Amino acid sequence: MERAIQLPNDEQRVTDIYAVAQHRDQAALGRLFDHYVPKVRSFCLAAQPGANLMADDIAQEVMIRIWNKAHTYKPESASLNTWVFTLARNARIDYLRRNSRHQSDIDPEYLWEHVIDENADPFKDAQQKRDQERIQQGLDKLPPDQKQVLSKVYLEGKTHKEAAEELSLPLGTIKSRVRLALHKLTIYVKR
Amino acid sequence: MINYHPSIEILTDYAAGSLPLAHSLCVSTHLERCPECQQQIRKLEMLGSHLFDQAQTESRQLSNLKDSFFKNLAQQPSPKEDHKVSPQEDKSIRWDDYAIPRSLRQFITKSYDDLTWMRLSPSFKIATLYNEEGGAQIALTRVKAGAHMPTHTHTGDEITLVLEGAFSDESGIYRQGDFINRDASHKHKPIVTKDAECICLTVLDAPIEFTGWLT
Ligand SMILES: [Zn+2]
Ligand SMILES: [Zn+2]
Repeated sequence: MERAIQLPNDEQRVTDIYAVAQHRDQAALGRLFDHYVPKVRSFCLAAQPGANLMADDIAQEVMIRIWNKAHTYKPESASLNTWVFTLARNARIDYLRRNSRHQSDIDPEYLWEHVIDENADPFKDAQQKRDQERIQQGLDKLPPDQKQVLSKVYLEGKTHKEAAEELSLPLGTIKSRVRLALHKLTIYVKR
Repeated sequence: MINYHPSIEILTDYAAGSLPLAHSLCVSTHLERCPECQQQIRKLEMLGSHLFDQAQTESRQLSNLKDSFFKNLAQQPSPKEDHKVSPQEDKSIRWDDYAIPRSLRQFITKSYDDLTWMRLSPSFKIATLYNEEGGAQIALTRVKAGAHMPTHTHTGDEITLVLEGAFSDESGIYRQGDFINRDASHKHKPIVTKDAECICLTVLDAPIEFTGWLT
């Protein structure tokens, strides 16, 4: 455990998730808690400003899912940050559908789980790292109006339509801002 | 070969978790058959994780929350092995002739035949899976080989996902896995191809009377 202190933070957290999966290491879980819980809370508060109890509930739920599902984390298919983001997104969807005015009985549990083709691809890991870097660097360079729309959609949980209404802009403008942004981030491939 | 995919807006809203659940159900069903869109989703989720990572705005003391979390954790039963069927085994299960997509198993456990089908004409049946309160209507339509679907217009948006078979309309031919999004202004007259019956998943934003479908 001593040598772990020297690891860069991201690697430290991957080590921690393995320690949770294999040794049920609560100290490692505690470190993950310190890092991720403030992020999950901010993510929830972006969608429902002031809803501190909801943010606490969802953050705890995400930590329970990390504890219970750590063994299913596969570094070759997603970075740990991406994995936790998807857990937070799914926990927020689940919370909102159970507690909102328009309750839905559609169980979201399987709707975001996909079977990425299992063919071993030796370049997958490298490809994933390249994509990560491109997206991260591109994001820092985006014009504020494009980044604002992405934040509305991802953090505040708004659809394109709702973002348009809130910013009093035509839907077409919102769509083209997102398309431009995704194009720069090389996410959007025109078919 | 899938030719019709959800728009990038729909994929983005789905990856962000902001798309309504009924629509997410259709996207999920499409993704089960579309590696191309899965790749896009993978990148859109990466984008989400970077935004998520940068979103931290508060620095509230969380030690109370942490204490109570670990107290609760001590009372949690130890996690049991996942007894859910793994996706691989899952895929090979074929009940009657058709494999039910994973995303629809919460509504259809065994077979399309077990649903309550409402016959609207000798060749056209519909089964409602779910009506969201104040929201979308999710249904399956089943049309015999070579038959016309009733001409209809929509009061809201309509998403159609081809589950089995194929159909065509003025704008093209749609096969298994194709995702078709039509807005309220669209009027169309689909015809099912002659070789097999066609089963589609449809989501209507504004529920309409089934009888209104018949002309
Ligand atoms: Zn696709
Ligand atoms: Zn239609």
